[in-house]
Amino acid sequence: MNWWDNALHRAAAEVLLVGALAGLIGVHVVLRRLSFFTMALTHATFPGVVAASIIGVNIVLGGVIAGAIVALGVAALSRSRSQNAAAATGVMLSGGFALGAGLVATQNGFSRDLTSFLVGSILTVSPQDLVTTAVALVVVAAVLLACARPLRYTGFDRVGARAAGFTTVVWDVVLLLTIQVVVVTIVPAVGTILALALIVAPAAAARQWSHRLRTITALAVTFGALSGLGGLYASSRWNVAAGASITLTATAVLALSTVLSRLTNARLRTVGSSRAVPA
Amino acid sequence: MDDVAVADAALRYAGVSVGYHGTPVLTDVNLELAAGERLALVGPNGAGKSTLVKSILGLVPVLAGTPTVLGRTPSRARTQTGYVPQTDSLDADFPVTAGQVVMMGRYRRIGWWRPTRSADRRAVHEALERLGLADHARTHFGVLSGGQRQRVLLARAIAAEPRLLLLDEPFNGVDAVSQEAILAVLRELSTVGTALVLSTHDLTVARELADTVCLLNGRQWAVGPPAETLTAETLRRAYGGHAIELRDGRTVLVEP
Amino acid sequence: MIEPFTVPFMGRALAELALLALICGPVSVLVFARRLSFVSDALTHTVFPGVVIGFLVGGTEGIVVGALIAGVVTAVVLTLLTSGGTLPDDASIAVVLTAMFSIGVVLVSRRSSYTSDLTSFLFGRILTVTPRQVAETAVLAVVILGLLLMTARALIFRTFDPVGAAAAGFRIAWLDLWLNIIVALVVVAAVRAVGTILVVALLIVPAAAARMLTDRLPVMAAIGTGLILLAAYGGLLASWNASVDYGVSLTSASAVVLLLVLAYLLLLPLGALRLRHRRTRTAPQGRTSPHELVG
Repeated sequence: MNWWDNALHRAAAEVLLVGALAGLIGVHVVLRRLSFFTMALTHATFPGVVAASIIGVNIVLGGVIAGAIVALGVAALSRSRSQNAAAATGVMLSGGFALGAGLVATQNGFSRDLTSFLVGSILTVSPQDLVTTAVALVVVAAVLLACARPLRYTGFDRVGARAAGFTTVVWDVVLLLTIQVVVVTIVPAVGTILALALIVAPAAAARQWSHRLRTITALAVTFGALSGLGGLYASSRWNVAAGASITLTATAVLALSTVLSRLTNARLRTVGSSRAVPA
Repeated sequence: MDDVAVADAALRYAGVSVGYHGTPVLTDVNLELAAGERLALVGPNGAGKSTLVKSILGLVPVLAGTPTVLGRTPSRARTQTGYVPQTDSLDADFPVTAGQVVMMGRYRRIGWWRPTRSADRRAVHEALERLGLADHARTHFGVLSGGQRQRVLLARAIAAEPRLLLLDEPFNGVDAVSQEAILAVLRELSTVGTALVLSTHDLTVARELADTVCLLNGRQWAVGPPAETLTAETLRRAYGGHAIELRDGRTVLVEP
Repeated sequence: MIEPFTVPFMGRALAELALLALICGPVSVLVFARRLSFVSDALTHTVFPGVVIGFLVGGTEGIVVGALIAGVVTAVVLTLLTSGGTLPDDASIAVVLTAMFSIGVVLVSRRSSYTSDLTSFLFGRILTVTPRQVAETAVLAVVILGLLLMTARALIFRTFDPVGAAAAGFRIAWLDLWLNIIVALVVVAAVRAVGTILVVALLIVPAAAARMLTDRLPVMAAIGTGLILLAAYGGLLASWNASVDYGVSLTSASAVVLLLVLAYLLLLPLGALRLRHRRTRTAPQGRTSPHELVG
């Protein structure tokens, strides 16, 4: 029997890929404080996905189109300083959610679909899902690598970056669209809640350990993939929903990181000062 | 660069008004600055100093007049202007080291793709060294003191080797050591032909450093050498009666 | 246009929504001004484990108590995390949201009616609201409005000038906790009847839309309430007509939300016009955080 024919094997491969992909983009989401935007995207791309599946076109395509509209809308709204961007994001979130849920409800057997939208169905990933995720991982990694310098400059110092000739709006849109690609790729497979958890928690945990972007990114990818595998194991061991147990594993990694990094930092500081005294 | 640009004045503003959304913040500014000259923009809070600095970078809409920077329009001259922002305008929490921040000054040359070259790394090291921060290249920007941060940002601007350097309130919240280090570097820069524009509300700094002072408050109240512009009379007019002349002939400001 | 509401369940649904309109108008103004959109969204998810545990322990009666406890726990945890500053606020909110919701999912995933439970949590059961539930909502509405009125002045002071409020002797952390608890109470009052989709919308959209018409907070609250009433009437009517006349199942919760969002979109150009009209000389202010694109 082919190794890929086993649903659990496919699920393990998928969580590894999704964990890495989410960790990669999560660093930027956490540093730029875009968690709410990410949450809104997961909901606002929903009607695109549903509409695509009703019409019968590729659902990733539907999600990408809906997500692009939202990402551009947010970029436009956040430029107009009079707008309360948090409220505008919230409006998109609830509007998208209601539209998507309303569309689903017109179809038969909708409660099953809605549930999997929220909490995902990682145990039923198809080989095609795996390929999509892998392609997205390569594309997103390439974009982030190629744009590392402008993204770092605009993230650190917007005014300075503009003065240095970077068009910050363009780089904002590049980042928002990249986040959007990640969300659209992973939400159908793992659900909105797990997507948000895997994007935010591992990156926030990694941030506790380092001040260097490269280290943070490497740690976030590692934490994301490990949370995925660990959660999957716990889920099959204790027979609980896989998405939920992965989310809780990622949360535990964050909680542990916060506590441990504080403890080690405190120890380093005392060691450093005691060494400084005799010298 | 081309000879025509070199022969041009570093800065020439003729009847320039700038502002946001069609509403002017500053009207009728007339300035002329040659290579190696040092210009201080002085005025109370909200006078439009930062706006004028940003207009030199082409980041504020011009409502009237023609600003010329290094012989070109402001936004075209950006490749040769350096900018030191106020430290509180950036995210100190962002995970970058001091060395990486200074390297940002080289991004324009490197492009956003090619690996850094030894010339870039040397320029970064030299810039840090000039500001006494060579040991801090690998320190997280966020743990530096206010004065050290300001020095790192100046190092970033120097690493870009600009012909015109703009500084927005470079001495806000800066300790005495850092202030001296910054002033020394600024003087050196102007001897090698870099033109300087800095905004400040510190009249002492303006007197010590600047060849030319431009007194602003919604419009240009006076421009000329410090001895002529920073007089009790002009200050009182520009600040609206909050300048007090001391017995030794110096003027202090009582901000409302 | 009134006739469908003479059917008892339709009348009760409208009454329930009207009560929620009364509280959500004012509360959404505070959510808007304090930028608590994400917190509101988080609370609608974090009461879920409370709902599940409440149901497992005390049956239908236990739901409100369970949700209440989960809501207050969330409010406390969020206040602690966001004042601690270890993580960015939005990241803490995201983590609390996903973790609490997942606890609920773990609990519910061992039951057989898993998917239908989740669905009713999303959509609520607005058309099967009982007179008793309407009465409960009315009581909660009075309590919430009372709590809000008692502290409105302090909350507004804290919103516009946190430093000044702290200097004047207000305990900022306590005020933040207080507002989070009020939002949690609204979520608890509404979530069983109208579902999470509608609660989020009721807490965020009305004030955002009303902001286009006025900058005065009491007027914003009144307009917000009015908008919810209109959307509730229109949404219920539309979903009734869709199913009776056309046989399309249009969920009423979705219909109400979409009408609210439509109102927001229609008012958007009006807000832009108003702004252009009274633009002042002052230069635009920067964002609170240098790269905060949203929130």
